[in-house]
Amino acid sequence: MQTRLARLPGWTVLALWSAAVLLPLYILVVSCFKTTAEIYENRLGLPQSWSLDNFTNAWTRADLGQNFINSLIVTGGAVVLTIVVSALAAYPLSRYKLGWNGIMLGLFLSGIMLPIRLASVELFTLMRNLDLLDSLTGLILVYSAIRIPFAVFIFANFMRVLPSELDEAARMDGAGETRILFQIILPMVKPAVSIVAIFTAIAVWNDFFFPLIFIFDDRYKTVPLAISVFVGQFRTDWGLVFASLAISMAPILIMYCSLARQIREGVGAGGGMK
Amino acid sequence: MAVLFVLPALAIYGLFVLYPLAMSLWGSFFTWKGLRMLDFAGLSNFARLFVFPSSARLTGALWHNVIWFFGIMVFQNCVGLLFAWLLFLRDQGKGNGGAAFFQSLFFFPAVLSPVIVGALWRLLLAPGGVVEWALNGLGLHEGSLTVLGNSQTALLMLVAVDAWNWMGLPVLIYTAGLRQISGQIFEAAKLDGAGSGRMLVSVALPLLMPAIGTLTTLSFINTFNQFDIVYVMQGVQGNPSYSTDTLVTYFYRLAFGAEGAVGITDIGLALALGTMLFLVLSIGTLLMLRFFDRRTVQL
Repeated sequence: MQTRLARLPGWTVLALWSAAVLLPLYILVVSCFKTTAEIYENRLGLPQSWSLDNFTNAWTRADLGQNFINSLIVTGGAVVLTIVVSALAAYPLSRYKLGWNGIMLGLFLSGIMLPIRLASVELFTLMRNLDLLDSLTGLILVYSAIRIPFAVFIFANFMRVLPSELDEAARMDGAGETRILFQIILPMVKPAVSIVAIFTAIAVWNDFFFPLIFIFDDRYKTVPLAISVFVGQFRTDWGLVFASLAISMAPILIMYCSLARQIREGVGAGGGMK
Repeated sequence: MAVLFVLPALAIYGLFVLYPLAMSLWGSFFTWKGLRMLDFAGLSNFARLFVFPSSARLTGALWHNVIWFFGIMVFQNCVGLLFAWLLFLRDQGKGNGGAAFFQSLFFFPAVLSPVIVGALWRLLLAPGGVVEWALNGLGLHEGSLTVLGNSQTALLMLVAVDAWNWMGLPVLIYTAGLRQISGQIFEAAKLDGAGSGRMLVSVALPLLMPAIGTLTTLSFINTFNQFDIVYVMQGVQGNPSYSTDTLVTYFYRLAFGAEGAVGITDIGLALALGTMLFLVLSIGTLLMLRFFDRRTVQL
């Protein structure tokens, strides 16, 4: 299609942006192992020794360990709750003839784009009245509520195209509806489950706004909230801040490396993010 | 039976999303004392938004969001489209493809929390940070780098960080869009003697309208919800001197008490701002979807 020479500029452009992405991340990683003095002296080089002090300091002294566990609980809880209730709702809405499927699906769909942050004052009052401030359960409920519209949309789209013989045969054998959904339908829409799980997990793990307004007690802070405090609090201890950034992105990095293809396709297909 | 299945999702979604949102819109027409709703006040909260000092904050924040949006749009639709086109050509050229690798690499920052991205760039761009060191070393700059502390440059820096964060999105959406275009169209254009640049502008671009629409709408929503990066890099006041303030940071200060020297909340004003922002976002999104729908080329 093109000569090798004509392709050269294209190569350079792509390589330059790759460097723009990788260089900051490289600096982040090597700085984790340096003392603050060494960060100033030796900007780009490898650390003199691969000391783990910054990591242990961040984990224990700055108590990132507790934040990490909180984030895991909230993310796991929100992913499971979102998948279960959304699959339950999408099943009849996409496969039964109810007369009100259209309206109900529309109601859920309208939530995909809603700017929920603008409702945070009333949400705060509601959470306070329900005694859900300073509570991981409260965060799980709010995140599930925000992610349910997207999940119902994805599940309904995948379930709608399954042949109706599937559930009819099972119903004939006397299987209950719950069993049909969780043992027959849901295993058939595994790609939908993984899309919902991946994008819910990313959104919840990364969110900063809701912990900021709902969580005041250090014991319940999630990782992004803790990081936002560290940046100011440990301003002079750059090594510790870099290490805490590395710790907080590690789960996402692991997930990203193992699921890069699904994420690429999910985003390319319709901008599944946000 | 069906109702029982729908109920849990509807209850959670209704209670934690629809109800507070409806109450917020409704509440913007009332006077407030702290977190208590008092009397019906018509449009007086909205009127107060347009009186100094809120008017100055409002127009400043709105203006910053608009600049942010256009900055991101220019970047994504020029650089992002160019990258997607280069990757598409590599795939077409067969053999050494590798598009998937670059796509994944470029998209990686987008799966990171804006808090991490903001904190990382705050350290890199800080006085004494690595960017200052590099620019001084290359002789492009002298002395201490204060781009984040300078009200002339701070907003542009945030837009650049946001662009770095989200670069992978246009690349993914546009390569997916390009792959949906039939190869015969490009073959025909090539037979007519169109070069690669000509093919991008005259052939691919009109056919990419749905993808451009998706991206524009997503960027619009993202930009007008911008909060995390500003909070982490410049503080909730949008320092220096409100030069990086956005509508949502202003909303947050009004709602949760960080506006002004004494940090008093003004719920009525916050809700009025929220209602306006809600209208801007919904009407803007609908208009954009319609605009791009009309311009979609049918083959």
